[in-house]
Amino acid sequence: MPILLIAGKEAGELLLSVRGLAWLLVFSVVLSAFSLLLVSDTELSLLDNAQVVYDMTGIATALGGLLALIVGVDTIAGERERGSLVPLLLTTVSRDGILLGKLGGIAVAWVVIYVLAAPYLWAVGSTGQNLSDGLLGLALLGTPVVLGFGFLGMGLGAWLGTARTGLLIGLIVLVLAASPLLLGPSLRQTAVGRAFDAVNPFSAAINAYDAVIIDSVSVAAQATNLAVTAAWFALALWFARASFCRIAR
Amino acid sequence: MRRWHIVVVLALILQTLPARAGDLSIELAPDAKNPPAPQMGDNLSFHSIIRSNGPATVEGVIAWLSLVQIDPGREQPVDLEDWSAHKAVTAAALDAGETLEADWPLRLIQAGTYRVVVSAANRDGVDLATSPFEDFVVREKPVVESQRVLPVALAIPILIGIAMSWRRWNA
Repeated sequence: MPILLIAGKEAGELLLSVRGLAWLLVFSVVLSAFSLLLVSDTELSLLDNAQVVYDMTGIATALGGLLALIVGVDTIAGERERGSLVPLLLTTVSRDGILLGKLGGIAVAWVVIYVLAAPYLWAVGSTGQNLSDGLLGLALLGTPVVLGFGFLGMGLGAWLGTARTGLLIGLIVLVLAASPLLLGPSLRQTAVGRAFDAVNPFSAAINAYDAVIIDSVSVAAQATNLAVTAAWFALALWFARASFCRIAR
Repeated sequence: MRRWHIVVVLALILQTLPARAGDLSIELAPDAKNPPAPQMGDNLSFHSIIRSNGPATVEGVIAWLSLVQIDPGREQPVDLEDWSAHKAVTAAALDAGETLEADWPLRLIQAGTYRVVVSAANRDGVDLATSPFEDFVVREKPVVESQRVLPVALAIPILIGIAMSWRRWNA
């Protein structure tokens, strides 16, 4: 299967090379630093514990989105600049096959991030609340958000042609989307904040994490947030396909 | 005859006066299933009975739970948002002798000594009705266990570092 071959090659470059492992090391150091901060806090309440699990799921989603975006841009625009995309386009593999194969590499990297984040979540959240639901929420809502950013990166890389511009625009979009992680609740309660929240897939994901982990609402009640993240995934897929087809013209 | 008239007039006046919250009495009791020595993460429940003592109907009754921490040096009201999703109970009207019962679940978020009280107000009353206090102590429970965090926080970066070194060595 050519799709699996492409996915295996992309995942191998991300996970098995020394340079590829460096991002995993940085990711684990970020989570380790966050976890160690907690050990020194002797006045944590159960709510704070849930807050930490919520923060960690948000960080994992943001880092996953960042990785997916950068790899997405690089896998099209970067390879185009390095001259390795054209030979791939000349093969018999369909455009959709190439796109799916390249997304496969990003999906494998996201799985690795998820697996890497799980012991940290267990370590800080095992005595708190809703850990398993939090992990389920991260899988259900984080996955379409992260893979959507992978498609966005591929779409930008194909559409703009240069990795630098694609990265710049993609990072701006990611920072904007992930801004609810930094904004206080009061800012998000304004009319503009609520409207932004309603269409922002990242907001949908972290609002669901908040509801599930902190407010003990069931994952099944997050249908609206799931729909927003699914819509984001579909929109990003459409953009990536449309942009990637332009390359052949 | 004149005395009888006065009695009737007084009765009519009393009938038209708004019912006071003082016409309400509140009983508050912990649920029998509550753990005897609760700790953080446990759930408690309290049962309240709001009774209209008459004579008039009390309209627009709203009752809510309040929680205060009373540890020396840490006296403060507690924001119930995190402790309970059960915000308030209401009744359009309570006739004389009628009761309004409610259960108040609490998830114990933080260690300390607490007092819980149910208050009730009504639309036209001037007084606040309150229940007697119910006190409880929440025992400390470690929420972040260092023996779990430290191995994970130290081991994972070290393992990835070893994997990087191994790859570099074999490259």
